[in-house]
Amino acid sequence: MSEKGGKGFSLLNKGGSLKGKDDNAPKSTKGRKVQFSYEGSNESRTGLSSKSGGKVETAIPKGDWSKGGKGDKVAYGGKSPVSKEKRPLELKIEQELPTNAKCMFDCEATHILEGIQEQMVVLSKDPTIKIPVSFDRGLQYAKSTSHFKNPLAVRPILEFLTDFGVSDGEICLISNMCPETIDEAFALVPSLKDKRILVAVPLKDALSELSKLKQSK
Amino acid sequence: MFFHIVLERNMQLHPRYFGRNLRENLVSKLMKDVEGTCSGRHGFVVAVTGIEDIGKGLIRDGTGFVTFPVKYQCVVFRPFKGEILEAVVTMVNKMGFFAEAGPVQIFVSNHLIPDDMEFQSGDMPNYTTSDGSVKIQKDSEVRLKIIGLRVDATEIFCIGTIKDDFLGVINDPTTV
Repeated sequence: MSEKGGKGFSLLNKGGSLKGKDDNAPKSTKGRKVQFSYEGSNESRTGLSSKSGGKVETAIPKGDWSKGGKGDKVAYGGKSPVSKEKRPLELKIEQELPTNAKCMFDCEATHILEGIQEQMVVLSKDPTIKIPVSFDRGLQYAKSTSHFKNPLAVRPILEFLTDFGVSDGEICLISNMCPETIDEAFALVPSLKDKRILVAVPLKDALSELSKLKQSK
Repeated sequence: MFFHIVLERNMQLHPRYFGRNLRENLVSKLMKDVEGTCSGRHGFVVAVTGIEDIGKGLIRDGTGFVTFPVKYQCVVFRPFKGEILEAVVTMVNKMGFFAEAGPVQIFVSNHLIPDDMEFQSGDMPNYTTSDGSVKIQKDSEVRLKIIGLRVDATEIFCIGTIKDDFLGVINDPTTV
């Protein structure tokens, strides 16, 4: 009895502790320094769950508390990846940045950072001032990815898309990637697909203007 | 992606910097403290572009330091989940490859590389398609999508994928 009770107790404890772990799994990942949150990738989800969730899954049949829980867990586990699979990972800039943040095209950033670099040449004569590494890398990246020499010409071509519900972040992404076809644009910016009917024609015109501008540089 | 943003910071200044050059000293201290730093919310502060406002200084009790609230404009670089970036490959191994986009490091796991690409070890480890037409090696330019982020005190590290449409190698350094 005591053994049974002991086993049951230890299983319940294990189950309880695992359940505790399981319940706290999302919280404990937040407390960890290394936290990767994945969306829209089943392989990575299964990869993650196999480490932390594997123990729970094997222990479930043993625990008494988990018979109903198993069913719940299986049902829950079965539903959530399927529902997340349908929506590809979308860009949600506006929700994460303060409202006063303004998206910049890579060509605009190049223009501004080059101007600052000229000033920094003067400042760098002072030995106490160090030019940060992130500035050099940021400038190099902006130069390599900007397709257009004249940022002032690019913004008017894409800004009118805001009238069709396209957000600033989406416009920036289109300008930085400079897709050649609207299929490419919809593939790279999945959130545009919801507005496809509205946006398809103006986007096609904008992309053809951009490609002319790109060729004329 | 680059952003232009207004941020606020409380700057503490030692009394030795007071005088006619107070403002210049405050601005240069701000730039030293802030440029090159990284935060989870704003990303990397790449450069300070201007000072919007410097508030009235408050003397801290017990010390002679004065705290000034400073509003400044700056260019920040922050990656987002779902963002498409063009990055340069820095290292390739059997687990995947590392790439850099500006100040941000990105790792693409071999699970998120198309199945028809296989790892080839050697002097120049790479991922190559079965017909040898596409190769990912050091210094290749790739277009990838960010699917995960990690932020610590000094850097942002991302997980990316090239397994979606219109992602993959843009420029192979061997063909250039």
